[in-house]
Amino acid sequence: MLETEQKPPNNRASRRDFLRGSGLAAATTVLTGRATAAIEEARAQDSEVQVLSGEIPLKLNVNGEEKATVAEPRSTLLDTLRNRLDVTGPKRVCDRASCGACTVIVEGETVYSCTTLAVSCQGKAIETIESFDTGPNGVPYAFHQNDGLMCGYCTPGFVTSCKALLDQNKNPTLEEIQRGLDGNICRCGTYGGVFKAALAAAKTMKGA
Amino acid sequence: MNAFEYAGPTSPELAVKAIGRSGAAFLSGGTDLLNRMKDYVATPSRVVYINDIKPLAGVHASGGAMSIGAATKLAAIVHDKTIEAHLPALHRATAEVGTPQLRHMATIGGNLLQRPRCWYYRNGFGLLGMKDGKSLVRTGDNRYHAIFLTDGDALFVNPSSIAAPLIALGAEATLLGPKGERTIAVEKLYQVPKSAADSELTIAADELLTKVTIPRIRGKNATYEIRQKRAYDWPIVLASAALELDGSKVTSAKIILAGVAPIPWRSEEAEAAIVGKELTTESAEAAGAAAVSKAKPLSMNAYKVTLAKVAVKRALLTIAGKKYWEEA
Amino acid sequence: MASWPQNPKLIGGRIPRLDGLGKASGKTKYPSDVRPDGTLFGVLLTSPVPYAKIKSIDASAAAKMPGVKAIHLVVEAGGTLHYQGETIGGVAAETEEKARDAVRAIKVEYEILPHVATEEQAMAPGAPQIMNGGNVRKGREVANPKVDEAYRAADFKLDSTYSIPVITHVCLESHGLTVRWDNDDHMTVWASTQNVGGVSGELAGAFQIPATNVHTMTEVMGGGFGSKFGADVWGVIAGHLSKKAGGKPVRMFLDRSQEHLTGGNRPSGTAHIQMGATKDGMLTAMIAETHGTGGSSRGANFPLPYVYFVPNAKRSHSDVYVNGGDARAMRAPGHPQGCALMEAAMDDIAAMIGIDPLDFRIKNLPPKDFRTPIYLQELELGAKAIGWKEKWKPRGQNGSGTIKRGLGLGLHQWGGGGTTDKQVSCTINPDGSVEVKSATQDLGTGTRTILAIITAEVLGLKTTDIKSNIGDSLFPPGQPSGGSTTAPSMSPPAYNAALQARDAFLAKIAPALAAEAQQLSLADGQVLIDGQPKISWKDACRKLGMGSVSVTAGALPGLSSNGVGGCQFAEAEVDVETGVVKLKKIVAVQDSGLIIDMLTWESQVYGGVIGGINPALFEERVMDPGSGLMLNADMEMYKLAGASDIPEIVVIPLDTPEMRARGVIGVGEPPTISTAAAIRNAVSNAIGVPVNKWPMTPMNVLDALAAAKQGKA
Ligand SMILES: Cc1cc2nc3c(=O)[nH]c(=O)nc-3n(C[C@H](O)[C@H](O)[C@H](O)COP(=O)(O)OP(=O)(O)OC[C@H]3O[C@@H](n4cnc5c(N)ncnc54)[C@H](O)[C@@H]3O)c2cc1C
Ligand code: FES
Ligand code: FES
Repeated sequence: MLETEQKPPNNRASRRDFLRGSGLAAATTVLTGRATAAIEEARAQDSEVQVLSGEIPLKLNVNGEEKATVAEPRSTLLDTLRNRLDVTGPKRVCDRASCGACTVIVEGETVYSCTTLAVSCQGKAIETIESFDTGPNGVPYAFHQNDGLMCGYCTPGFVTSCKALLDQNKNPTLEEIQRGLDGNICRCGTYGGVFKAALAAAKTMKGA
Repeated sequence: MNAFEYAGPTSPELAVKAIGRSGAAFLSGGTDLLNRMKDYVATPSRVVYINDIKPLAGVHASGGAMSIGAATKLAAIVHDKTIEAHLPALHRATAEVGTPQLRHMATIGGNLLQRPRCWYYRNGFGLLGMKDGKSLVRTGDNRYHAIFLTDGDALFVNPSSIAAPLIALGAEATLLGPKGERTIAVEKLYQVPKSAADSELTIAADELLTKVTIPRIRGKNATYEIRQKRAYDWPIVLASAALELDGSKVTSAKIILAGVAPIPWRSEEAEAAIVGKELTTESAEAAGAAAVSKAKPLSMNAYKVTLAKVAVKRALLTIAGKKYWEEA
Repeated sequence: MASWPQNPKLIGGRIPRLDGLGKASGKTKYPSDVRPDGTLFGVLLTSPVPYAKIKSIDASAAAKMPGVKAIHLVVEAGGTLHYQGETIGGVAAETEEKARDAVRAIKVEYEILPHVATEEQAMAPGAPQIMNGGNVRKGREVANPKVDEAYRAADFKLDSTYSIPVITHVCLESHGLTVRWDNDDHMTVWASTQNVGGVSGELAGAFQIPATNVHTMTEVMGGGFGSKFGADVWGVIAGHLSKKAGGKPVRMFLDRSQEHLTGGNRPSGTAHIQMGATKDGMLTAMIAETHGTGGSSRGANFPLPYVYFVPNAKRSHSDVYVNGGDARAMRAPGHPQGCALMEAAMDDIAAMIGIDPLDFRIKNLPPKDFRTPIYLQELELGAKAIGWKEKWKPRGQNGSGTIKRGLGLGLHQWGGGGTTDKQVSCTINPDGSVEVKSATQDLGTGTRTILAIITAEVLGLKTTDIKSNIGDSLFPPGQPSGGSTTAPSMSPPAYNAALQARDAFLAKIAPALAAEAQQLSLADGQVLIDGQPKISWKDACRKLGMGSVSVTAGALPGLSSNGVGGCQFAEAEVDVETGVVKLKKIVAVQDSGLIIDMLTWESQVYGGVIGGINPALFEERVMDPGSGLMLNADMEMYKLAGASDIPEIVVIPLDTPEMRARGVIGVGEPPTISTAAAIRNAVSNAIGVPVNKWPMTPMNVLDALAAAKQGKA
């Protein structure tokens, strides 16, 4: 059972239910051979489904470090990072997958952490802006030098998208940079500095 | 977002098992479901996370047919070379969905089964956007709403950019339920709800979409999307066309519009106008005009009639390789 | 009169902002990031309905929920709510998730009142009246007696109606603060604000403690644009929650939809304009009947006529009240609306006359205004940069096929002067460190950096040698950041403090250097005697022994001015089949006196342009007449430009010796004013048809084309 001091919502005891994997056979027979093989494999590993509710202990791998905390299944990755783990580089702005301020890298790909459940990120590598190189070869430095920020609240999201973009494409054109950053919104309107920063960072990263 | 129970099954069967009760929902990329949950438009008591179920993901080609697992990320579809080469209608529509982050998260299954983006629905007035028994949509801000079937009560538009090309390409959806598996045409996933209690989706609450299969394609296909912002934006109107051609003569056509009706809208009028004709600027123009011949716009969205006409024309002329416009 | 250094080393250069790397690496803590020990999470309860009386309100169930530590309500049974999003109360709980649950468990019974959510509804005959004195408050008409006659006699008469909708600020960091009671009469506050002093003052007033007992800090903040000047009702609620929870810190920030609904907005503007001009392009008359809404209690006026000399004018304006969130100042309040409506009419009548709209504007500049020569220089620079001579064609004559091209322009003006009562302290320490302090704040405008530049200039140091400490209410009184007043208010005292600190410093170390203070000067990190480098800054500072030099100083006269012009040009392509507008290029020419940091100055202007592109093309608060709700209180259907929407933007400073001699003038606001006007004019020039409703969406563009076709048919 869960070991937590905090009480779960609605005074309901935290619990884990296990759904037995029995009765599977009927369903599997109609599956394709490929799927069946995979199912067999899955069944071998796990023939039951764990059901989590209330407050649950979570282990998240953030920037290469195992971090433990207590959250709820509904806690977003963003709120878990910000409110529980003090990882506040990613910002909460729209909270609806439409501005990019909360962008983090999960298993090598940028995602909106506001629209990702923390519980589904266990066992996955989570990278946030806090782990980026802040030296002259890094993306943050290029943003600084090219004034790719004003209030700076959108900036961690832009820097993260930009870093992920440059990791995939060492030599982007301006248009590719724009496409790559289309999932982020800046209200102060620093796009010009951001584009310059991305081009500059591509240059130094290649040089480095 | 209300509290819920969370299950993370490792197989499609276990997923169906875990969902087996009322008030539960599958969670894939979450980009639609979690938004609705945050707005309390959806309040599942259990969430079954299917995005990490390996057999549900991946693009597989076999014998000219193509199967795409329901939990395949949109980014994977965009990057698939076979799809890019042979199914440009699907490639293009998928590449234009949302943003890089979104395409890393959103899945094709979730895209097909996402709920309408109608702002009345999202603000809590139900699928039909009713208040005190009256349609808010009809007298309200319906700039993004339907231009077909507007005599009825369902005035929202189907939100999926990807359903249109899939239907044009004759794709089928495979559903796994507690009683086993069934396969239906993708267009059969959708229906026009008759009352506020109805859904616009035909899939049962305990059915899992496991994959979509696109049969071998003989002709050519294309999608043309009209949207305002070049950075992410919803299409105002999108048209997908799949044609079979004999030389430049069209022998069969499937033309599907998104953004114009509560279901992906098959335009039999446009199809009839182009079949048997040479594919030219004039015939494409005529097909566009035919596509909207039965449109009945609402108070604010007559402009969408123009857009639907243009989208059909341009989808056809993309196939013909006769682009007279500038790419956005 | 004081003057700025004649040959500055730093001032006017391109200097990266001091806080840039901290922000760009995600390390800097914003007010919404701060989480002092024991922090409770606050969530605000706001009205879900547009207009209602509260029949009853019961928080007892919520109070019993797990993790809930405090509840505070500001509306009682019998109270009235005037718009969706109006504050009702707040909850503090151990987690944000729990606080949200508790807010939803507060039971409120509403007696729904008939609402008016749109201006059309509010102005309709028989509309429910939501304001004592009526929904429409007509201001006094200002009229030149000959105006009707002049209009009737004009060679060309324009008669058109234009409108620009309400937009909201969309500060990316929403409004809010974290507050902690340190003891019975002291509070510490981390606020996202444009005015640390104002936050302290408001909280002090609410809790009846001295303002000096409220320590407000805003090291950085995520955007305000005019909407963040106080603690606000939610800040006061957070204070009560913290108090009820035994002083524990309470973090209270609006969610995105609340930010749209109650965080402020820019009023709409609609103008019925009748304009008269002569054959040779001289304006003779302008009659404008205008209205706009600033929500349920605020006005919506804007300047009109704008910029140009109109010999005979008549203006009447009505404020329209609706059940919508109240307006707040937003980047150059009133001017973007006035500019858009005026410049649209200017272009439309120029097209009627058949005159080049650039020439038309030049002809009608006010003959006696000090800005006119500035405008003339700016127009020349801008026209050249956009290629006006080569590219401009009369309406609808540019482009073949479905893509039509167009050019447009707009002129604007602003004050941007400062106050003279603010102070900066400058401290030189024996270890060589230098610190400047003031209770102003940096909204991303670069305030922190320009104070350091000015100080470094005087002390012969590098900008990075200066610790620029602002955003703290306990520091010497600084300028609230609004009206583009921060730079002109803060630069003079920064300069004065640095000069005085320098003089005191040199006087103090002179004996140790066996020199007279008058022989000493500072440059390149050295102390010079009679112009010869003698000793490094650090070593010289050591000679201070135990004591620092610290000076707090106010402004000197002659270092700042007021009043700027500016113009913008836009080049657009419109697909006339789809109504989709693609911007090719924007040129922004701006004067603002002496520019302290060219790098951040350019960013301000560039950002101002984007702040104009958004309402030009995308932004609009959509209110539903039926439900009275805002339909797009998000960042998906409330559209804002993303990276691929940004055209080439050319920023040109009018940076001449005469301009520099004017001293510092603010630039936060002017460069956002005329963008939406220039873009609209470019679109109308391209398609050959005036588009009279902002934003330039496919709907509005195609509707304009369809209306023109019908008119012709
Ligand atoms: C800013 C923004 C812009 C967007 N622009 C576009 C656009 O231009 N075009 C477009 O088409 N979409 C657009 N979308 C929507 C986006 O594409 C969808 O949200 C996404 O595809 C849904 O996929 P998902 O995996 O995240 O689904 P989820 O949110 O996980 O699920 C969506 C729904 O489908 C159900 N579901 C998911 N998978 C299955 C399954 N395998 N079996 C049964 N039920 C299932 C869920 O229960 C849920 O009800 C946009 C979204 C955002 C936020
Ligand atoms: S906060 Fe996550 S996308 Fe905006
Ligand atoms: S820098 Fe302020 S929002 Fe981007």
